[in-house]
Amino acid sequence: MIEFKHVDKVYPNGVKGLKDVNLTIDQGEFVAIIGLSGAGKSTLIRTINRMIDVTGGQLIVDGTDVMTLKGKAMRRYRRKIGMIFQSYNLVTRSTAIKNVLTSMVPDMNFFRVLLGLFTKEQKMHALEALDKVGILDKAYTRCDQLSGGQQQRVSLARTLNQNPTIILADEPVAALDPVTAKQVMSDFRRINEEMNITVLINIHHVDLALNYCTRVIGIRAGEVVYDGPTTSVTQEILDEIYNGAAIPTAEK
Amino acid sequence: MRKKQKAEAVVKTPLLDRLIPPREITLPNGHSVKKPVSRAPFIAVLTIAVIWISAVVTGFDFRIIIERGHQLGYILGRIFQPNWSYFGGDAAGTKKLMDALFDTIKMSIMGSVIGATLALPISVMASNNINRSTGVVWFLRILLMIIRTLPTLIIAKFAALIFGLGTFAGTVAIVVFTFGIVAKMMYESIETIDMGAFEATESFGANKFQAFWSACMPQILPTYLSYCLYSLEMNIRAAAILGYVGAGGLGILINEFIGWRDYESLGAVLLALFVVVLIIENTSQYLRKKLS
Amino acid sequence: MAKTKSLLNADHPLTIEEAYESRPRLWWLYTLILLIVAALLGWSGTSITYKGLATKGMTIAQGIGYGLVHPDTNLLFNLTSEGVPYQLLQTVAIAVLGTLIGGVLAIPFSFLACDRIVPKPVAVIFRAVILGIRTIPSLVWALVWIRVTGPNAFCGVVTESVCSIGMICKMYITAIEDIDTKILESLDAAGCNGLQKVRYGILPQIIPNFISTVIYRFDINVKDATTLGIVGAGGIGAALIQCMNSSRWSMVGAYLTGMIVLMILIELFSTKVRAKLARG
Repeated sequence: MIEFKHVDKVYPNGVKGLKDVNLTIDQGEFVAIIGLSGAGKSTLIRTINRMIDVTGGQLIVDGTDVMTLKGKAMRRYRRKIGMIFQSYNLVTRSTAIKNVLTSMVPDMNFFRVLLGLFTKEQKMHALEALDKVGILDKAYTRCDQLSGGQQQRVSLARTLNQNPTIILADEPVAALDPVTAKQVMSDFRRINEEMNITVLINIHHVDLALNYCTRVIGIRAGEVVYDGPTTSVTQEILDEIYNGAAIPTAEK
Repeated sequence: MRKKQKAEAVVKTPLLDRLIPPREITLPNGHSVKKPVSRAPFIAVLTIAVIWISAVVTGFDFRIIIERGHQLGYILGRIFQPNWSYFGGDAAGTKKLMDALFDTIKMSIMGSVIGATLALPISVMASNNINRSTGVVWFLRILLMIIRTLPTLIIAKFAALIFGLGTFAGTVAIVVFTFGIVAKMMYESIETIDMGAFEATESFGANKFQAFWSACMPQILPTYLSYCLYSLEMNIRAAAILGYVGAGGLGILINEFIGWRDYESLGAVLLALFVVVLIIENTSQYLRKKLS
Repeated sequence: MAKTKSLLNADHPLTIEEAYESRPRLWWLYTLILLIVAALLGWSGTSITYKGLATKGMTIAQGIGYGLVHPDTNLLFNLTSEGVPYQLLQTVAIAVLGTLIGGVLAIPFSFLACDRIVPKPVAVIFRAVILGIRTIPSLVWALVWIRVTGPNAFCGVVTESVCSIGMICKMYITAIEDIDTKILESLDAAGCNGLQKVRYGILPQIIPNFISTVIYRFDINVKDATTLGIVGAGGIGAALIQCMNSSRWSMVGAYLTGMIVLMILIELFSTKVRAKLARG
């Protein structure tokens, strides 16, 4: 369970990323976070695994106050949270399986990391992860020879390989064509349903969000302006999220 | 954004254009364009002045070459008739040459490996995309810059004074030289790598070392190995002359033979060096091509 | 390898065991490389032994340290021919003239060594000559030239000129080979003759590259010029080595400080100018 209690984020340059965010996300939910670019979607997602530190309020994940974590404890905490990036963030010079194996690196001792020695068990586990996203046959292909959709699947496999309980995805389909984007979204849905992993997706394709996710969080200028099931999202709500500036003038 | 750029452009008018305003050319149809003053005359005057001063300071006198140039032809002629007895004919001579040659190769291999190994961690610490502490980055960069300004021969001379004459001093000089150059080339290429994978690896709980080693190392390893081979190529040439200041290798023989005006033997030394350089350069270039 | 396997088994999906078995096996290659490197290192170690410090090693090391911290300021700002400024000026002057002459001499050589322009046998011969020039270390060139010019700065100039040819040629040749010939086609279409094509099609492409090369080499030549003094070919090296031999460490410190400052300034200058040339 992820709980945001009055969370604020002010960047060093004075920009307010998040303003008094209050959210509770249960285990196994599939949440889409929508909003304009710069509204704070990325900030919200990245506070959860401490890629960004919050400056006020409390963030509690599975009973742990995230802001109190430091060094080793924080890295151990990050082990159960997977992250998917818009630009895949793979080592493109390495093969798919080597990329998947990097998610085991935090648990290995210094010399194994230094020499890149992975056990057969680890390799089999990584291959299983690749199989789950349907690209087992590309395991020994270098990532720079894979298509965008395949690369995003490698990064999904890398995340699955660490057996996360939460997956954070930062615009995972923004760089993909519509057909591939749908395939990747169904991968997310399958993972969410079959493995009961909480999935939080930042997305700017509203129709994809509405088709695949179960809950929508709308963010505008760092504030949560909508939070509810996908089924009750109406055109007015979308207008409020996306054309926030227009609403106040209408109220006048 | 565009406006801001324009404003900057106005502020940054070159000094010369402010001193001598650009000439305005008006076309018959009334449109006009500003032609900035050509820099060419200024650069030309400056260049001529620099050349003239340099000629005075160095006592440049081409007549010497014309009068005594035949002397060079004579020496080169003798160098190009190398004394073949150093290649098997004279056992003692052959051993002397081969020992010196192998010492040179050994110094450069050992020096390249140690220098390049030391350079790796330092270059990582001197890259501002990995090391966030600006102070350390700049300290290391200035240090590397100073190391690179020291000529190898001067380092070798220092090493020979401190560690005594011989190959150890030469190796120290090669280590320092390799370290300076490989570390610089490395931090420059580390700064151009894609940090996405590093970020991802950190996001799932790796520490900085684990993230660097598994996400950045595969990207920089081919470049690093290629730089190591390149430095080995340079080091063979450099190591060949270190003996001149007593740091072992072929330089000792070169110094000796020139002193005795035994240019045929000098030719033999240079021939041996030539062959080795050729072999090492070709092997290295072949391997570097494979790496890229 | 994995690819062919998956193609072969296109009708039934690949199992994890099959994928694992099809992994590329490269460990023997890595082991081989490691063994070769280890063997080379072991061999290299055979004649490099640390025999402890020289008898006065510690004193000398301390002296050097002291000298670097306390350079002889009198020498550093002395304007006579003994002083650091004049010595540095002479070093730079040697490098300037050497680089310029080398840069000019390299032009015919590089055109004659480029097999896009001359018949292959001619190119091969000139490449061999360039290689020959490059193989003789600069120190040896200096020692040979001294017999012609006597031990003075002029010797440094001719040495640098000859030594620069090798590397400059190599970079010129790359620049010539990179010439975009499509421009020549368009000039042809516009009705230009051979000379006009060279003037307006080729020169604008190669001149910035050539100048950039020369400036890059200038950087190296200044460093080389500091060492040529060791054999008596002018520049700061002669004075530096004398002071080192007679253990006058604060004078060594002064010369070294001057050298380091000069080299850093020149490196900054050369990087800046070349960046400007590359941008156009």
